Amino acid sequence: MNWLKFVAIPLVLSSAVATAEVAVVVHPSNAASLDQAEISRLFTGRGTTFSNGSKATPLNLAESAPARAEFDSKVLGKSSSQMKAYWSKLVFTGKGTPPKELGSDADVKAAVAADASAIGYIDAASVDASVKVVGKF
Amino acid sequence: MKKTLIGLCVSAACLISSAAMAEVKINGFASVKGGLTTGNDDTLYGYTNDIEFKNESLFAVQLSSDLGDKLSVTAQLMAKGANDFDAEFAWAFLSYQLNDDLRLNAGRFRIPFYKYSDYLDVGYAFDWARTPRAVYDVEFDTMDGISLYHSTSIADMTSNIQLVYGAYEGDISVSGALSRSKVQDISGGSWELSNDWLSARIAYFMADVTINATAFTPLFNALNTFGFGAVAREIDFNEDEGTFFGFGLSYDRNNWVAVTEYTNVKVKNSYMADRDAYFVSVGRRFDTVTPYISYEKDDDTSKSAIYKVIPPQVPLLATVAGVVESQLADRDTWSFGLRYDFHPSAAFKLQLSSAKDNYTLDKDRLLTMGVDLVF
Repeated sequence: MNWLKFVAIPLVLSSAVATAEVAVVVHPSNAASLDQAEISRLFTGRGTTFSNGSKATPLNLAESAPARAEFDSKVLGKSSSQMKAYWSKLVFTGKGTPPKELGSDADVKAAVAADASAIGYIDAASVDASVKVVGKF
Repeated sequence: MKKTLIGLCVSAACLISSAAMAEVKINGFASVKGGLTTGNDDTLYGYTNDIEFKNESLFAVQLSSDLGDKLSVTAQLMAKGANDFDAEFAWAFLSYQLNDDLRLNAGRFRIPFYKYSDYLDVGYAFDWARTPRAVYDVEFDTMDGISLYHSTSIADMTSNIQLVYGAYEGDISVSGALSRSKVQDISGGSWELSNDWLSARIAYFMADVTINATAFTPLFNALNTFGFGAVAREIDFNEDEGTFFGFGLSYDRNNWVAVTEYTNVKVKNSYMADRDAYFVSVGRRFDTVTPYISYEKDDDTSKSAIYKVIPPQVPLLATVAGVVESQLADRDTWSFGLRYDFHPSAAFKLQLSSAKDNYTLDKDRLLTMGVDLVF
């Protein structure tokens, strides 16, 4: 009987995590269309511009923010540890720098609302009119 | 005391002035590893039957600064346990972004021999406790010179080409003795084509290798005295042409990770064996734990022709044959291990390696564990 409890707890936890949706957001004036592959390119440093050719500035959430792990796994298809290993390969060869990290959804929203080149992501529940959603995952 | 104070003032002044000009980024990585062989007489990768923590432990900080106008500077200061933690610049280079695809680096940088060359010391960047030694065995890994780096997208693939030119000067171990060496006119490059889950890579380099192998001085004197100067010249490294060829494939999809690399290293007119080596490694990621298994093969062909010209009655023959045949090697190494990401910035590693010498039938087994981290 005990093992049932043991199984049930992780199931509840994982379903709670899975329902948190991540919204990728840009400045309201940004008309670029973005699919998952395009977003992934920007957040892995393989691309630096939006589809219209203008410069893109990706903004990461800090590892402590729950939406970070969601974004890493759903959009980039990697765990946060894998992403850290990925960036350490580029950082320690002088070939790239990871996106700037911000502490909270509010910080990301403020930064995206203030910068036409910015692209970030937040918990879908935190979205408001100051930013434009280009994808939900 | 005075000296320390002056030092502090100077570095404080440096920090203030650089802060005023450009932001200096500091990143670091470290490894703390301990290991011991399981048999009394076993030795492997510098480990013995007594537990040892210094051999593969290291600390490094990297300073980088974007100076604006496409110019940046990167320096990495590393202290390795194997060198008594004496810190030295592993690399230091200027980078100039010529355009979106092309970057020119000048200074001291890692030679892109292997897939993992660029982050050989950043244990966090790979799953193993160490890169496979059978393949990762060229005695030097950095050079001073220039490097042109080209990166572009081809369909959904990324192409990275790195061309290098320069030289290495430093010590290379020959017959157990560190010997002053000059590897000049290093030229060549690597090309890696990759997408999200597959990558293929080739590398080719040439260089002129000169090593002042003092361990051989008595032998060379004797050979010259007895009229076998030509044999001495076939053994030594005197602006002899060295070549390196490498090929690699890696796969990372659905939590399966597989890597293989093959290398061939030669130095003409020297006693160094023609070295062929490869490894195959397969791992499976289970969330934070990645167990893996790897097989390494080292197949070095000695240059027996060097001493065939010495008549059997000449006593030097045995010595020369001994030196040349010391290069003969046929080794199999199996490793089993795991990586455990127990912390967002640190990974625990555990690896058991068993190396078998197919000539002597000796087996050496090594257990290594430790932590690799980035900060």
